Order: sequence, then structure tokens, then C-alpha cells
Amino acid sequence: MVEKKTAKVLNFRYAFLAAILILLAGGLVLLPKYQKHEGIKPQVLLSKVISQERYISTDLIADKLISRDPSFILIDVRDEESYANYSLPNAINIPLKKLLDEDSKVYLNQNQFDVVFYSNDNFYADQAWILCSRLGYKNLRVLKGGTNRWFSTIINPQVPSENKTAEEFELFTTRKAASMYFGVIYPDQVASKDSEVKIEAPKKVITVRKKKKKAPEGGC
Amino acid sequence: MKETEKTKRISIASILFILVVIIGLLAYERPKFLYDNNTENALEKITNDDYIVTLNEINNSDYVLIDVRNQFEFEKGHLENAINIYTPEILNDKNSGLLDEIKEKNKTAVLYGNNPEEVNGPFLFLYQLGYENIKILAIENSYLQNKLITKNSEIEKSEADISAFIKDSHKYTSEKLIEEEVIIPPKKIIVRQKKKKAPEGGC
Repeated sequence: MVEKKTAKVLNFRYAFLAAILILLAGGLVLLPKYQKHEGIKPQVLLSKVISQERYISTDLIADKLISRDPSFILIDVRDEESYANYSLPNAINIPLKKLLDEDSKVYLNQNQFDVVFYSNDNFYADQAWILCSRLGYKNLRVLKGGTNRWFSTIINPQVPSENKTAEEFELFTTRKAASMYFGVIYPDQVASKDSEVKIEAPKKVITVRKKKKKAPEGGC
Repeated sequence: MKETEKTKRISIASILFILVVIIGLLAYERPKFLYDNNTENALEKITNDDYIVTLNEINNSDYVLIDVRNQFEFEKGHLENAINIYTPEILNDKNSGLLDEIKEKNKTAVLYGNNPEEVNGPFLFLYQLGYENIKILAIENSYLQNKLITKNSEIEKSEADISAFIKDSHKYTSEKLIEEEVIIPPKKIIVRQKKKKAPEGGC
């Protein structure tokens, strides 16, 4: 009799086990939705947000542009209109709205170039930076101060007052030369134009870097 | 007899499997902070311009002012009724509790700092964490004789027309300079391909 009873119970065990498995499968639905949690952990993102190391100064960018540093791309996150009006040399326009489009990804999610975001100030550029950093993109930078600071430091540098240090005067001369490179013409430049040209010319010569061709290996 | 052994194995295996799943579930620790908004949502939020508050609007009873500067600056001078939550300490128990409380009461947290740029980071960060009732107070704070001075600040205002300035500077020369001397083709990003090795040797 007892055996019969246990046999009856045992008949149900598969149904029972199957029910538990189905219940557990139902539990999977309750797990947090992971597509919402794309990207790096919040704690990591916060520490990145606080850090100031994403900023790159206008002087450095000017220097890189003049020396034709091939290691970075400039991304203009302003709208098309402002981009058409003025943009830094060779900048690529990705308006903030189109930041996460598939086409933009090609530029942002790669590890061949540094990506430097800029906008009028660094407000929108920072936003672009935060979103892209969360997605785990590498080598992202932000131009500190954006085009406003670009204008006040590089394009239109102010003559330091007479009581300033020699370094500041030196910085001013560098910036002035840079602004000439980016198309600004000064009255005193016209008078001594010949000498100016001579100064600018060797710069270009220095910067052209050619890859060395390796001698072919092997062969007969 | 053989058949019962077989069925026993099946039930033992499935019980073990269920045990493993249950242990896994019990051991699973839900991360303390999870994003509630993905980047697309956040981008949508920031491209709609409704998250900026100006100084005249802060007398709204729904707004809770939050100062993201550090304690020293906060104590030196802050807006009336503001709470101090220093950005690096946002995820502290105390501070996230405060933010949760604001969220529960259906109030809007209005963040401010020394300038709007400073608040940008914490704002976007908190939004992605799911604190959706959050805004930025567009002000600039400075001190004059240890007194806090607050004024409205316009975000992303273009201060100068650079192309006009450059064109304007060209009036100094009578000659026409050759423009656009520097033309570098736009960079192309090449998808990496495996390099084919040049065949070595052989005849």
C-alpha cells in the first residue's frame, strides 16, 4: 500500500519539477532590464565627470593645428548654421542631436584618433563628452572654453599691460603668430610682409613628416 | 530496475539545477546604483531646452535649490534655502537619500554652482540615474568683499563672430592675400584590416 502511494506521488514529480523551472524562468523577467544600463558603472562615470583631465587648452589645439598633428579629430557639436559660419580648421560637424546616430559612431567610437569636442563654450561639448564616455568610448577630450575662448586667446589675443611678466608677452607673441596662421591680418604685418613670409615658411617645412619606406625584405 | 535508475538521475539532476539557480538568485546582489535612462533618453532631454531656470524663477515652491560646490564655498555664501551636495559626494547615502526624498515629494531639484558648466556634469549624471525632476540654474557666482554676487548667465552664447572678425582684419592690406592656402583633406577613418604580409623569400 505504501509503495503504491509513493509511486503515485512519484508520478507527479516531473510535473512538479517542471512547474518550479517555469517559475524560475518567470523570475528572469523580474531581473533589471539591461539595455537601460548600457555603458560604464555610475560610480566610474561620476569620477570621470569630476575629473578635469578631459579639458584641452586652446593654445595646445592651435599648436597641434599649426604643426598639423594627425593624431586628433575636431568635432563641432553646434548646429549646422554656426558650423557653416565659422569652424576650426578641418572640424567635423556633428550637432548634439545627431550625436548617437550610426553615422556619428564611426568618428566617435574608434581608437585611431583623439576626439576633441567643442562648441561655443564647453557646455554642449561637455554633454556630448559625458554621453560618449558613458558608452565607453575612448580618447575623448573637450576644448576648454570652446570657440569663445578660441577667439579671445588665439584669434584676438589682447596685448598684456606693461607691468606683466616676460612670459605673458611671449605667450602673446606666440598667440599673435598663431592668429596670423589662422587668417587674421595685423596692420603692422602689412609693412613688414616680406619678413613675415620668411618666418612662416620654414614652419611648414619642419612639420612634413614622411614615413620611411622600408626596404623590401626577402626576394631572390 | 534500469529504468528507475535512469529516472532517478533525471530528478537528481533537475533538483541540483534548481538548487544552483536558487543559490545564484540569493547570492545576486543588486547594484546600488543603476541607470534609469539610457543615453538616447538623456540626449533627448538635453536637446529640449526646458531644463534651464533663471534667477527670477527660483521663488517657485516646487523648487529645491541644491548647491553643488564644496562646503567651504557653500558656507562662504549661498542662495537662500539651498542644500549643499558637493558633486563628488552625490552618491553618499545621505545625499542620495536627500535626492530620493525630493523625488518622492514630486519637487524639482534645481542645481547651481559657480557657473552653469560646473553643474552640467552632475545634472546629466543624475538625470541618467533616474532623477528626472531636475534642472539647472543658469547663474554665475562670484564674490566681492566676501559677499556672494549672483547674476544670470547665458549658456553657450556666442561671444564673437570670428569669421567676421577675420574678414574685417583683411582691410589692413590692400593686396589680396591668397586665402585658403592650407587645405588638408578631411580625415578618413579607416576600418582596420589585417595587414597582408609581403611574401618573403621564395622564387
